[in-house]
Amino acid sequence: MLFNSLSFVVFLIIVLALYYSKIFNWNGKKRMLLFASYVFYGLWNPPLVILLWISTMIDWITGKKLSTEENKRKRLLWLLLSMVVNLGFLTFFKYRDFLLDNFTTVVNTYGYGYQSKPMDIILPMGISFYTFQTMSYTIDMYLKRTERAKTFLDFALYVTFFPQLVAGPIVRAQDLISQFYEEKRATINQFIWGLFLLTLGLFQKVVMADSLLSDTVDKVYSSDKILNFWDAWMGTLGFSGQIFFDFAGYSTCAIGIALMLGIVLPDNFKYPYGSLGFSDLWQRWHITLSSWLRDYLYIPLGGNRHGVVRMYAALMITMLLGGLWHGAAWTFIVWGGLHGTYLILERLQRQFLPFKITKWNGIFLAFTTFTCVNITWVFFRAREFKTAWNMIGSMFYLNPEGEKVLSSFDVLKVGVIIGILFLCHWFMRSTSIEAVSKKVSPISLAVIWAVMFFLVAIAQGSGEQFIYFQF
Amino acid sequence: MKLEQTLIISICLGIIGLITWEVYWRSEGFYPTLDDNEALWSVQRNRVENLSDDDVILTGSSRVLFNIQLNEWEEVTGRRPVQLAIPGSSPLPVFHDIVEKTDFKGTVLVGVTTTLFFSSTNPKHEEWESSQSKINYFYKRTYAQRLNHFLSLPLQQNLAFISDVSGIDGIKLKELINKIKLGNRVEDKMPPFHEFKDTDIERNSKMTLIASQDTAYANTIKKVWKFFDEKLGPREKDSTIAYFLKDLKKFEARGGNVILLRNPSTGFYKELESKITPRAEFWDELIKQSKVKGYHYDDYEQLRYFDCPEWSHLSAIDAAKFTTELAKIIKQDGALTNLKTN
Repeated sequence: MLFNSLSFVVFLIIVLALYYSKIFNWNGKKRMLLFASYVFYGLWNPPLVILLWISTMIDWITGKKLSTEENKRKRLLWLLLSMVVNLGFLTFFKYRDFLLDNFTTVVNTYGYGYQSKPMDIILPMGISFYTFQTMSYTIDMYLKRTERAKTFLDFALYVTFFPQLVAGPIVRAQDLISQFYEEKRATINQFIWGLFLLTLGLFQKVVMADSLLSDTVDKVYSSDKILNFWDAWMGTLGFSGQIFFDFAGYSTCAIGIALMLGIVLPDNFKYPYGSLGFSDLWQRWHITLSSWLRDYLYIPLGGNRHGVVRMYAALMITMLLGGLWHGAAWTFIVWGGLHGTYLILERLQRQFLPFKITKWNGIFLAFTTFTCVNITWVFFRAREFKTAWNMIGSMFYLNPEGEKVLSSFDVLKVGVIIGILFLCHWFMRSTSIEAVSKKVSPISLAVIWAVMFFLVAIAQGSGEQFIYFQF
Repeated sequence: MKLEQTLIISICLGIIGLITWEVYWRSEGFYPTLDDNEALWSVQRNRVENLSDDDVILTGSSRVLFNIQLNEWEEVTGRRPVQLAIPGSSPLPVFHDIVEKTDFKGTVLVGVTTTLFFSSTNPKHEEWESSQSKINYFYKRTYAQRLNHFLSLPLQQNLAFISDVSGIDGIKLKELINKIKLGNRVEDKMPPFHEFKDTDIERNSKMTLIASQDTAYANTIKKVWKFFDEKLGPREKDSTIAYFLKDLKKFEARGGNVILLRNPSTGFYKELESKITPRAEFWDELIKQSKVKGYHYDDYEQLRYFDCPEWSHLSAIDAAKFTTELAKIIKQDGALTNLKTN
């Protein structure tokens, strides 16, 4: 079920009505939320709920064993069992065809003439998200960093909690399960603020990403022509806006919906296009994934504890796998590799060419970071390397005779939206929407809210899927 | 923060904004209509699973959609057909789907707009994709999508601003933005394409009054037809007939009955169709090879004098007359083999 759909509106009203009715006690409410979460997921593809159940059962049993088992070898075996099952599902459903394609290519270079038949397996929505979430619980249990969930119901709800089930934020066990232990009710202010965030998220998705930017981006990236400098840049800048609004929109909705239930989810985006460098970027973009990769991949790979070379290798491996997490294609791996390279270059710069960031050079640095991020988006958005290279060539003015596919209005529209987006992120980088809203008069906030609601309604989101669902 | 106050004011402003928006579009001549989208098509496709041998399925392109009126057909034959025609498409994928994926063994009326029927059997061909995308949607639609469609119906039926129409008559935000023109960086040669069809819940469709009565309006549609079809290339007769015959054989073997229908066209389309799909080489050949009942509008006095306001489809009034006459001919001809008559 999509947040930007009528069925979700009805679903949420029913869930809220049951949640705040006096029919259930707290355990009953949690059971209702768990059932609602399965309905939320099952309305997309009922049989795939079974995967969620298996994942939940395996990690619940593993967590239970790890909480009592002291034998190191047995503890490791339990951890491996969980990882094999979870990563096994992920590999089978998400990476099988990719691995098979590459295997075929490799063996055929040796003249075997092997023919593979892709299975075209349906990718379970949000599998990358809930797999990482449930794995974090087991790994934390193994490392004794978190307490075992008190009841199976709490754990199952942690894995399945519908606001963040299919596209995050990826929440750690200690941050969410503990919230289920005592009855939660949103205060009036929390509830209304949650509703505001839900509207804001839908506005970002339905109005900004789908209505204002997606067509322009599609026009550029579906073109089989060598494009003009401006078209290539506007298509890519448009995509940087589209993916931000799409994904941040989802996270904002998720945080808002959870808040309406009195549950607090962590921020996932903090004005990433106002970042001063790439380390800063990854503390602002998809924060819950980057912190997951840091804690469960980068640090176990050695982090910065074993010298510079090992640190750079760990950094690069983390970013390459981070790229692969986004999609089973080499373009995503290149995207991750570029970010890894940026992070390494940034650390080298800090070591050999340090400079102080002031408010004067800050915006220039943010603009440079944003520009470099846009180069990476080309590989993220392009379906093939050929398209990506053509786009990069055009963006670096290597195709001066390239064709124009965008209208003057498209160019102006993307330029204005992305210009405003960048400046917003720059000026908001040290604050939050909640802090700003407190400085605004209630009437002004109401007008802004009403305008967003109105635009969402007249945009009539035709239920376009969130980009990150495919990951 | 005084959030209660903020919420109340924003709800009031939001409702006032939407009421104003609805009133504005109604004052501009818009009215509530249903979107003839893949969800609506899928509901009709789903009905095929429960049809009896007496039932009739209508397939083809927009000419079947506009010209065959369900009420009139039912009045004459006693059975209400299921409308599965898809605008701008080849009927072959839909017929193939009925043959391969259902047990239906009633009557399938296949509309033969020659430029579309004989277009191609290449799945990447636009005319093929138009049909196949709807079939794919039917098989892949989720329960959430079904629920969304069900919930959207009352909104579509009561609010003018709820519309999925694209192009010049589109009034959702994306379409309004796309209509803004500034400078001429890239030339857009496509003439403005007006919507000219109203659809009901069963996909019974009629040409809008303005398209049938306002010549200037109809002329805008004619320009679009010319823009798309003026340079239409040669058609693939042999492969399309072979594909159809294979499905036909299987369908007839289980007791199914097929009727072919050539709908009227006038002006530019009549000339174009005569030129690139001459009747003797295409329609007559198809009838000869398939050995099924075929009805060409030009062969019947009752059918041959209808005028198409935009060269391709009948007005709502003419469509009703056309359906009545056609159904009578078909009935008298005994072409509805399974029809139980008193």
